[in-house]
Amino acid sequence: MKQGSYDCAIVGGGPAGLTAAHLLARAGASVVLLDEQETLGGQYFKQRRGVVRRRYGDYRQEGSSLIAAVGAAGVQCLAGTLVWGAEDGALLTSRLCDGAIGHLTARAVLIATGASEECMPFPGWTLPGVCTPGFALQAAHVDRVRIGRRVLVAGTGPFLLPAACALLDVGARLAGVLEVNTPYRLARSALPAALHPARLVELAGYMARLRLHRVPIRQGWRVLEASGQGRLEQVTIGPVADSAVAQPEELAVDALCVGYGFRPSAELAQVLGCACIVDPASGHLVPKTDRWGRTSTKLVYVAGEAMGIAGVHAAKARGILAAAAICEDLTLPCPAPREVRAAAWTARRVIAFARTTNQLYPFPTSLYSAIPDHATVCRCECVTAGEIREAAATGGQDIHAIKAATRAGMGLCQGRQCGRAVAALGAASRGVRATPSEWFRPRLPLKPIPYPAFEEDSGVQAAR
Amino acid sequence: MHSAPPLLARALYWLLGVRRQGIESDPCTINLDGKPVRALEGQCVAAVLVRTGTWDFQRNPVSGEARGPYCGMGVCFECEVVIDGAPARRACLTDVRDGMVIHTAASAERVPA
Repeated sequence: MKQGSYDCAIVGGGPAGLTAAHLLARAGASVVLLDEQETLGGQYFKQRRGVVRRRYGDYRQEGSSLIAAVGAAGVQCLAGTLVWGAEDGALLTSRLCDGAIGHLTARAVLIATGASEECMPFPGWTLPGVCTPGFALQAAHVDRVRIGRRVLVAGTGPFLLPAACALLDVGARLAGVLEVNTPYRLARSALPAALHPARLVELAGYMARLRLHRVPIRQGWRVLEASGQGRLEQVTIGPVADSAVAQPEELAVDALCVGYGFRPSAELAQVLGCACIVDPASGHLVPKTDRWGRTSTKLVYVAGEAMGIAGVHAAKARGILAAAAICEDLTLPCPAPREVRAAAWTARRVIAFARTTNQLYPFPTSLYSAIPDHATVCRCECVTAGEIREAAATGGQDIHAIKAATRAGMGLCQGRQCGRAVAALGAASRGVRATPSEWFRPRLPLKPIPYPAFEEDSGVQAAR
Repeated sequence: MHSAPPLLARALYWLLGVRRQGIESDPCTINLDGKPVRALEGQCVAAVLVRTGTWDFQRNPVSGEARGPYCGMGVCFECEVVIDGAPARRACLTDVRDGMVIHTAASAERVPA
């Protein structure tokens, strides 16, 4: 199914994609905005829908206005459409509702695919009841649903705090917030945060809220194990560093939210042949760009969290910068120079703050070696840490050999969740450090799509 | 005297801040493994199921372990359920509609093959 050709195709309808789409359409470009979810907004501007919206009002009014503005500016919005690859200059799509395959062409492609949550395997993390803080937050804020009565929030990153507060909003009781790092103290590394009073006020708000509800925030603590009969019932927590004072404790909870920051989703950029570099902050591969978001591939651009994790303000600013670059390259009227200058300034400022954040909440790479052998690492294919270590020790030269030997990373998520852990475990048994260039490479389709969709597209009738 | 209970009830609603357009005025009932479940139209299926205490969405094809929603944003594929007969639908990316029929792993095990 041909879906037309456009001046610019924007993949991802979050803050960056929406901002860029709005500017480009205003500049007179024909723009198509694609997002896998049925409603635009991405994760940050996720919209309430139907009766929930009528009853509780908009969640993040700014996002609703932006989406309305994008529609009014004449952007072709294809929500519920997954971009699963690119071939011969066309983007390959699949409709979420029925899997119908399509393709569309565009002179310029802007990748605004955002990020997903980073994980750290531990025994029992596959139990129903263990989820990411993002799921808990969206269920609470967008769907007004409490995911559990007694919940533990753990991992690392500033995002744990709003997620914990969202749970309080819908009446959950929190067994605690466990932060692997120790960011909440006066230290020299925390000083640059003083340049961002708005963020500090936000932080103080969350802290006050948690204090009011007597939620213990335990720094330097982590989840050791989750257990239960087919369902999460109990969590064992303990200090990160071996300590004679603090002993592991057991908590009875009915939901556990674990998140270790975010992982930029740069798969489409890699498929489009963009050169990638290691993002020093997240440790992930991100496309190499100039400060406007131009990649090494001609007329392919990146904006938002797919460039590296820096938050919503940076995403919006990077959306403006990318739109300005696309306008220039397509010889369209450029956005107001003042707006672009302001965006460049915001981006620089917010990215500097993101660097501070990353120093305060570093990803705990050292915990990989602490994953016990019986812990499942690859959720999809149920491959344990022990099996990966064994495969690495018995001739698995690199991650691909480990994959071939164990099937780790071959499942439906395509190694998005376990890739980093598999690479780290493999490298550790060779006594080296894993670099992201050795991680699983994205392959088409970028996400699983239903097989009947292919049959219909190629006109092949399935033999029955 | 007859008007007293509704008046009292209304006062109580007002005091508790309960809006009158409750679930009653927005009927949306889905069928979850043969049982009716009330929901709000527009809520995502994963959230509705979790609200009823259902976390057991599917079985991992390799180990047979129970799995439930994890990432909530379409990455992990752990929340796949059968929706209106269509298999492998990610519950986190689908909104509930009145009359929707949802089957999780729990119901699949009860039905004899």
